[in-house]
Amino acid sequence: MIVPERRRMSRNSFGFLPTCLLLGVLCSASAAAESQQEILFFPSVDTFDPFDESDSAEIDDFQRATLNTLYSFSGDRFRFLGEYLWSSTESEMERLKAGWQFQNGKMLWLGRYHATAKYWTSEYHHGQFLQTSITRPSLEEWEDESGPTPSHVTGLSLEFDHQRDDESAISFAFSAGLTAKFEGEELVAFDLLDPRSGHGPGLNFKIAYRPNILSPLQFGFLSSWHDIDVVSESNPSLADLNDITQLTAGGFVDWRWKDLRLISSVVYFDNELDYVDEDVSDSFWLSYVQFEYEFSDDFTFFGRTDNGIEEDNSPYLRLLPAFIAHRHMLGLRWDVASFHSLTVEVADTSQQGEGLEHDNFKEIRFQWSAVFP
Amino acid sequence: MKTAGTILALVIVGCLLPQLANAERTVVLITSDLCPVREISQLDIRKAYLSVAVNIDGHTIRPFRLGGDEKLSQIFYQSIVAMSRKSYERRALSMALKFGTPRPAVFEDVDSAADAVRRLRCSVLYLWKEDADSLDGVRTIKLLWQGD
Repeated sequence: MIVPERRRMSRNSFGFLPTCLLLGVLCSASAAAESQQEILFFPSVDTFDPFDESDSAEIDDFQRATLNTLYSFSGDRFRFLGEYLWSSTESEMERLKAGWQFQNGKMLWLGRYHATAKYWTSEYHHGQFLQTSITRPSLEEWEDESGPTPSHVTGLSLEFDHQRDDESAISFAFSAGLTAKFEGEELVAFDLLDPRSGHGPGLNFKIAYRPNILSPLQFGFLSSWHDIDVVSESNPSLADLNDITQLTAGGFVDWRWKDLRLISSVVYFDNELDYVDEDVSDSFWLSYVQFEYEFSDDFTFFGRTDNGIEEDNSPYLRLLPAFIAHRHMLGLRWDVASFHSLTVEVADTSQQGEGLEHDNFKEIRFQWSAVFP
Repeated sequence: MKTAGTILALVIVGCLLPQLANAERTVVLITSDLCPVREISQLDIRKAYLSVAVNIDGHTIRPFRLGGDEKLSQIFYQSIVAMSRKSYERRALSMALKFGTPRPAVFEDVDSAADAVRRLRCSVLYLWKEDADSLDGVRTIKLLWQGD
């Protein structure tokens, strides 16, 4: 049985040594150039305990320590960003990209980055301290956490903010590059060290409106297209499957009313599964709605529901047995100090499972998260 | 009697002097003498401190902060970026995480902050006017706040 949080050791998608060398070069260059740089550490420790499991569910408890390191360098027009995640379950270069600002507000990036057509992902990345909840919405899970759509793309991306006369802004983000492939029971992101590992192209698009260019309030639309290659020999259930074409389209909103905040996204999936002897069409909706209520400077109460339409009948999601089909969650976050927080979350969860029925369980999680310096 | 009157007058003046001196203080924004930028809008200043790229006539504006002065920090949060300390800190972190924009460097004393301004052309720093007036190689580019 697959547990919801994977414990695979040392999956290293990019060599540590080349990364250090690159950072060294940039650090020395920065001394001479008109530039700024910063290193941020996002550590977290979390525990997960399932209870009240259904008969088919075999979910293990776990404790996990994570350190996400972010390095950023900003020259006159050049920018560089590297994000490396170490945890007791994995080690991976999450983002590594270099950017060029060619006009006010227009950035062209080259490298490995997070898919732009995912609101939560492009807002929080791996900065656990910045997201209020411990868990991510299942719609926005990473590839190795049984996410339903590619999270990492390697290629080009363009970001552009258009400021309007009334100081509102429309933001565009477009990206094109190599997307994930399907191997075993999950999607696998493109490996920079193995460029011939067989990955198809992917496109991402996001447009957002903000009532003020400096406001975090926004809503918008997003869409993606991925040609997902399948490693047929990696899993008997993939034996006759050649390729998956995935199209997504949806919307998102992130809004606040005084102490109340709403974050939500609804996405339509259209998958074409290309089997040896037939093509299977599959469509469904996935969504999440999260409310946060900051009832004092230090305490935030929150809740989220992850749900969908027709997702229980999806042949594509059946290929992802650890995918969280539904989760109804409540939690409380205590900002103990400026950059430290303690969070507890309880949830009623349904995991996709390997049969026709979902594996149901309840869960409780605790987390400490912080940021340094 | 005359002596007592003089002492009383001195005491009153002595009490009032600091208040008079503190009656009106000014916070200004400075940049290097070498920076060709002559004007900067309030919105651009706010954008720069919120880690949004600001480019004026081809020159990138880089913001610096001065720590260690609680009153100046309050003015920064209330009047320059117009948000609470917590919201500002989260916002700056978020921009660093999303776009790789380093947070504005914070200096603990005026001299080291002024050195940084002189070294990095078109960097900007907010500080008390009386401190700015005593510095060489920099000039005031905007009056940000006036009050007591």
